[in-house]
Amino acid sequence: MKNLLWKLLRKHISPAQLIGFSIANLVGLCIVILAVQFYNDVKPVFDDEESFIRKDYIVITRSVTGAGAMMGGSSEFDDAAIADIEAQPWCRKVGRFINSDFSIYATVGLGNSGRAMRSQFFFEAIPTDFIDVTDAQWSFDPARPEVPVIVSRDYLSLYNFGFAATQGLPRISEGQVGMIPLAFTFSGNGLNDVIPGRIVGFSSRLNTVIVPEDFLKWANARYGTGGARHPLRLIIEVNSPGDVKIEQYMADHHYDVAGDKNQAGKASYFLTIIVSIVVAVGIVISLLSFFVLMLSIYLLLQKNTQRLRDLLLLGYSPAQVSRSYIVMVLAINGVVLLLAVVLMLIMRAHYLPMLQALDVPAGSVLPAIVAGVVIMTAITVGNIIAIRCKVNALWLLEK
Amino acid sequence: MFAGRERVPSQVWQCELTLERGKNYLIVADSGTGKSSLCSYVYGYRRDYSGTIGFDGHDIKTLSIAAWCELRKTSLAYLPQEMRLFPELTAYENVWLKNQLTHHKSRAEIEEIFGTLGISDKLHSPVSRLSIGQQQRVAIVRTLCQPADFYILDEPVSHLDAYNNSVVAQLFADEAGKQGASVIATSVGNHLALNYDVELKL
Repeated sequence: MKNLLWKLLRKHISPAQLIGFSIANLVGLCIVILAVQFYNDVKPVFDDEESFIRKDYIVITRSVTGAGAMMGGSSEFDDAAIADIEAQPWCRKVGRFINSDFSIYATVGLGNSGRAMRSQFFFEAIPTDFIDVTDAQWSFDPARPEVPVIVSRDYLSLYNFGFAATQGLPRISEGQVGMIPLAFTFSGNGLNDVIPGRIVGFSSRLNTVIVPEDFLKWANARYGTGGARHPLRLIIEVNSPGDVKIEQYMADHHYDVAGDKNQAGKASYFLTIIVSIVVAVGIVISLLSFFVLMLSIYLLLQKNTQRLRDLLLLGYSPAQVSRSYIVMVLAINGVVLLLAVVLMLIMRAHYLPMLQALDVPAGSVLPAIVAGVVIMTAITVGNIIAIRCKVNALWLLEK
Repeated sequence: MFAGRERVPSQVWQCELTLERGKNYLIVADSGTGKSSLCSYVYGYRRDYSGTIGFDGHDIKTLSIAAWCELRKTSLAYLPQEMRLFPELTAYENVWLKNQLTHHKSRAEIEEIFGTLGISDKLHSPVSRLSIGQQQRVAIVRTLCQPADFYILDEPVSHLDAYNNSVVAQLFADEAGKQGASVIATSVGNHLALNYDVELKL
C-alpha cells in the first residue's frame, strides 16, 4: 500500500525515452571523464618538472654550419657577444658553460653481473646559482672526492630503450640511477686518478653532463692544459621564456635555443587543446541528453497533469508528489554515473600498459571521478528544479 | 465569475456571508450559477474571484501551499462533483490514498463503511469497472477518511437513490457530529437528506 503514489505516477513513464537519455548521458559523461583521466595520466609525459633547473632558463649555442665548422672558432661566444646578450631587456643573467679540458673515462658497473660499461666522457659546468640543488649534494670536496653529475634524460632513454632492451639488461628508473656505482678515470698532466661519481638528477633541457663548477675548475687546473677558452654554450635567465623578442634575437644572431623544452611545451599545449575539445564534445552530448530527460519528464508531467492535480486536492504537497519523480531521476543518474566510471576504468586499463612502458606513473582517478560527480550533480539539480517548478505550477487551476 | 453583470440575485455572491462550524448548510443552485466554482474558491485551487474569502478572519489568498496542504488534511474535506477518483486504482486503494495521509480510519472502519453503503463486494475492484453510483459512494468513503471542520460536498448524492441518500446523510451526520463539524452540501435538486440549519440560494 505504501507505493500507491508510485503506482499512480509511474503511468505514462516511457522506458524508451529514459533508456535513450541514459545511453546519451552515459556516452557524454564517459567521454568527459575519460578525457580528464587520460589527460591526467598522460600529462606527466610532457611535464618534465626539473626541480634543479628553474623554468625561466634557456640554453643557447651558435648554429653549427658547414662553413663555420670548417673555419673553426666561430662556435664560441666571445666577450662582445655575451655583453650584447646581457644588454637585452629580456635577459636577467648570463651563465657560461665551462668544458672539461682533459681526458675522462666513465665506468658503470652493472649490478652483480660482473659486466661493466666503459666510455670516453666529457663534463660541462655552469655557475651554481643556475642550479637549484641547494643541499650538499651539489659540491665537491677534494679531500673526500665524489663527483655529483646531472645528465641528460636522453641518455637514460637511450640506455633503457636502445641498449638494455636489446641486450637483455635490466631497465633502470630515474630513482634507481642514484644507486648505480659510477667511476670516473681522469688523466692529464701525467696524473691518472679514479674518483667515484653519482648521478643526482636528469635534465631534458641540458643536453650534456653537468658537474659542479668548483669541481671542474679544480679538475681543469689539475689535469688540463690550462688554455683559457670562450664558452661554447650559454645559459640565460630570462624574464619569460616564451617571449617573441627572444626568438627574434636568437634567429638574427644565428643562435640555437636548446629545443626539447619547447617541443615538450608545444606537445603539452596541443594535448591540452585536444583534451579540451574532447571534453567540450562530451559536455555537449551530456547537455543534449539533459534536455532529452527534461523533455521526457515534461511530457510525463503533462500526461499526468490530472492525476497530479487530484493528488494535490487530496492534500498531498507538491514536494510529496514530486518525490517519486525525483527519486526516479536520482536512481537513473546514479546508475549512469556509476556505469560511466566503470566504463572509464575499463578503457583506462587498456591504455595504461602503454604508458607504463614509457615509465610514466599512473595519475590519480580522483579528478575524473570528481568531474563526473560534478557534472551529474549539475544535471540532477537541473532535473529536480524543473520537476519542482512544473509540479508547483499545477497548484492553482486558473480558468 | 459574474463579470459584466450588475447585480446577481443570490444569497451568496455579492453578499457578506459567514459559515459557522457546527451548523449544516444547504446551498441550492440552478445549473451554471457557480456552485462548483464556489467550492473551488473555498478549497483554494482557484483564485479568479473578486472579494475576500477568510478563514477565521484571515484572507485565504495569503495562505501558503504548506498551509493549504495542512488544511486539506485536517480541516477541510471536499467531495468534488466529478469525484476525481483514480480509475486505475481499486476502490479501497482510492480511499487508502487519502487515509494514509490522515490516518483517520482503520482498515476495519473503512470496510465497515463500504458495507454500510452496500459496496463491500467492490472493495478490490478497479474504480474504472464501477458504475457511476458506486463510484460516488467510493468518493464519499474517501471524504469521510479525514478529520475536518467543514465537509464541503458538491452534489454528493446526484447519482444515488433515496435509500442510499439517507444512508450517506446518516454517515455524514455521525462523522460531523462526532467532531462538531459542519456539512456544506450543494444541490441542483437532489438534496442530501440532512437536517440543515441554513438553506442558501446561490
